[in-house]
Amino acid sequence: MGLGLLVPAFLVGLAALAIPIVLHLRHRDKDRPQRFPSLMFLEQLPIRTAERRRVTDWPLLLLRALALVLLVMAFARPVLSRQAAVEQSKRVRAVVLLLDRSMSMGHRDVWPVAMDSARGVISRLGADDRIALVLFDDEADVVQPFTTDKRVALAALARARPAPRGTRYAAALRAARQLALRAGDAMPEVVIVTDLQRSGVSGVSGLDLPKDLNVRTIGVGPKSAANTSVVSVDVHRIAEPLRTMLSVETRLVSREGKVPRTAEVRLTLNGRPTGSRTVAIPASGDVRVVFDPVLLPAGRVRGVISLDADALAADDTLHFAFAADDALRVLLVAPDDAMGDETLFFERALAVSRAPAVTIERVRAGRLDTRALEHASLVVLWDVPPPSGSAGAALGVWVRRGGGLVVAAGRRSGARVAASPLLPAAINGEADRLTDRGGSLGDVRLDHPLFAAFRSAAPALSAARFLRYPRLEPAPGADVIARFDDGLPAVVERRDGLGRIVLLGMPLDARSGDFPVQPSYLPFLHRLVLYSAGRDATTLSRSTGQGWLLPGFLKEPAVFTPGGAIVRPARDSVGSTVALRESGVYALYEGRVQGEPLGLLAVNAPPAESDLTPVDARELLLGVRQSAPTAGAARDAPTPAEIEGRQRLWRILLAVVVLLLLAETIVANRGWRGTARRTTEAGGA
Amino acid sequence: MATAPASFLDPAMLARISDLALLARTVVDGFMHGQHRSMRKGSSMDFAQHRSYQPGDDLRRIDWRVFGRTDRFYVKEYEADTNASVIFALDSSASMDYGSGAVTKYDYGRFLIASLAWLSQHQGDRVGLATFTGDLVDVVPPSTRHLQLLLHTLGRSRAAGAGHLTTAVERLTHLTARAGIAVLVTDCYETPEALAHAATSLRMRGHDVIVFHVVDPAERDFPFTAATTFEDAESGARLPLRPDDLRAKYKELIGAHHSAVAQRLTGSGADYVRVDTDQPLDRALHAYLDRRLARSRVR
Repeated sequence: MGLGLLVPAFLVGLAALAIPIVLHLRHRDKDRPQRFPSLMFLEQLPIRTAERRRVTDWPLLLLRALALVLLVMAFARPVLSRQAAVEQSKRVRAVVLLLDRSMSMGHRDVWPVAMDSARGVISRLGADDRIALVLFDDEADVVQPFTTDKRVALAALARARPAPRGTRYAAALRAARQLALRAGDAMPEVVIVTDLQRSGVSGVSGLDLPKDLNVRTIGVGPKSAANTSVVSVDVHRIAEPLRTMLSVETRLVSREGKVPRTAEVRLTLNGRPTGSRTVAIPASGDVRVVFDPVLLPAGRVRGVISLDADALAADDTLHFAFAADDALRVLLVAPDDAMGDETLFFERALAVSRAPAVTIERVRAGRLDTRALEHASLVVLWDVPPPSGSAGAALGVWVRRGGGLVVAAGRRSGARVAASPLLPAAINGEADRLTDRGGSLGDVRLDHPLFAAFRSAAPALSAARFLRYPRLEPAPGADVIARFDDGLPAVVERRDGLGRIVLLGMPLDARSGDFPVQPSYLPFLHRLVLYSAGRDATTLSRSTGQGWLLPGFLKEPAVFTPGGAIVRPARDSVGSTVALRESGVYALYEGRVQGEPLGLLAVNAPPAESDLTPVDARELLLGVRQSAPTAGAARDAPTPAEIEGRQRLWRILLAVVVLLLLAETIVANRGWRGTARRTTEAGGA
Repeated sequence: MATAPASFLDPAMLARISDLALLARTVVDGFMHGQHRSMRKGSSMDFAQHRSYQPGDDLRRIDWRVFGRTDRFYVKEYEADTNASVIFALDSSASMDYGSGAVTKYDYGRFLIASLAWLSQHQGDRVGLATFTGDLVDVVPPSTRHLQLLLHTLGRSRAAGAGHLTTAVERLTHLTARAGIAVLVTDCYETPEALAHAATSLRMRGHDVIVFHVVDPAERDFPFTAATTFEDAESGARLPLRPDDLRAKYKELIGAHHSAVAQRLTGSGADYVRVDTDQPLDRALHAYLDRRLARSRVR
């Protein structure tokens, strides 16, 4: 049986022992200062204060001090601990070793230290202690469940390597929690070996960990957080009369450096070095590098930007991939009776587009078949209803596979009731605004990508007047992006599979309004074709940890990973997804992996992983909530009666304090203390 | 010289009057009761003497009769051609806010100034007020119309803060362009040299200086008996003492200080009047009237 304290922090109250001593010495307990105009002359007097600094009443002082000590002890809640509680510290340990293997751990000075630390944790375990090994980056991987065999754990540890992935401590702690709950009678403990990267803390706050789970962090971060990385790349096509050139621009970021440095940046396209630049990199900041234009390679292009390696080499290389031919082919389906100039503005507005170049091919509605649609990016139905029969079926399939469809409803559509499963709205008659000088756009969702360019120029949209336009009745599931000032839908959108269908109630010709001669016409059409064709969010690379959603029309998709593996993902109703775990270029094939790939996707480590700024180990676990203890701890928990029994000492102490205070009162008022001569002053204020 | 009925001048009685104007009138009327009538004349047109005409003199003041007799130009001079300008300076430091009896030193000073101002006003003088601590706090410029403003300012003023008489008097000398009477009401917690320096500054500007040294009986007698911690009213400094052991020495020191202050102030040309707050106001009023009378003989 031992004696412990539940709230030892209250022992600080022992410092209050100085109070009775000072009071005793100064005799200030009953004195109120006598106000006097000036101590100018009193200060000149020889003041005999020596006797005031001497303890004159030892019994009283000791009584007061003892009462105070016991009061403090009572507040500190003394508790009698059971032998079992003492033995708790001798319980078998179940250690969950979380080893960070994110990209930043590949730092030259970090990984060897991390491995040594992890090996040290394992080797210091007792014979009966258990160890589980979890490797984590942006997700956690239990590579070794609980075992008492240290050699097995060390072997699993030896296979660990840094991966080009981000850091998420929350994922690791969740995995540790699951393991700790399976620790049984053993005392669970989590040891995190990490570089404590600040960017990985997100999500830790609010996490529940068992109350008795001891989390210990071993920081192995580099001494200096200096790092330079290639963070982004952009490609520009330069169209010349006989050829197309490619200009590549990249951005380098330097963080926490001490001095500027010079480094060589190299560009590789399709495995061939095609350019290099020597650049001065600032100690902290970014620099843009533009390579000399080169001839644009044909087909799908893989590129690599590489920088002279520093301590963290993994982020000194950036992969990217794109299709050389980004021309956007638009199939324009116009009515047979269309006048020659009816689509003039539309075609001219698209023809001036250079990035990407837009080519327009006019076809008849009945000629829309799989072959015609094969190389098209967008189909525009110009005041014609969606085709029926096989052409309509082919168009529907094509849209679901990612094609874009724009239906420009005009006076012909308004004259007859038109409804089609492809259309996001039914067309029911026509609104005539001739009498009030035409309608205009009223409610426009400027947060939508289609109108995002007009956020700072909304009046430009409302300047256009529309004399006649069809009455659209949105179908269930359709999204109204813009309305006329009379409330009728002007732009309605619906997604079908991977494709987008946009129905325009706004006349695009110059007969039913003046939209084609307004400044907003050209930028609107440009956004319309890019958005509808799905070209608005094309990126040159993605980050590891994301997924690649493969088109649903592929029957046997196969992905060739940068590591040389072939992945054949399972298909579902939408398509299939490949987890992007490696950095490099993924290639997509149908069936056999050979020949020209159907698509390329470049993948790099998340840019945030290049920021080596550390977080304090205590700050890492801020916001972690404590939940119910593990099973072993719960079994050891005493009953309420036991708890009460062990803690009742405080009551005894308080009773003693009361007795001491009573004694103090008697001693303080005993006769001989009257020598203090506190007589009532006469005439004093 | 007749003495006023004590009830009109007793500080304990005056402490019950909250209106300073009423208090001043009560004091002055009570004090003046039985005084010689001429004492109330501050100015007159009584002939004093002839003197030779100087270029610039007003031609209307030439005595033509004398010219007819002597064939020389003489001008007539009268006593008290001008009324006096009286500036009252009240020490508002926290040490003045002390009183072991019915009134504090500050209240006593206010009664005194109100009464003197009332008296001066009825003699045709210009009256002004300055309260000061380390610097000037409230200033009422001297004027024949400022009596009510002076009484109002006096009524709302409070004693607080540390005082520094020398600095405040320096500022006061710059405020009063016209020479007159400067009445300084203070508890003289300064070195005698500093007080003399302040009085000299005022004298150098042509002022007649009267210093009323206000003393509380407890400051004078140090009647405390219990071992007590004393707190300085201005600085807040504290000093634990046994007064019984120190009383004799204290009275010796304070007596020496009062003597030195009186000697240095008198030496610098100022009138020093010590007033104890348990004494009636008549001594102070007499001292003031004597000084006022002396000034009225200025030609």
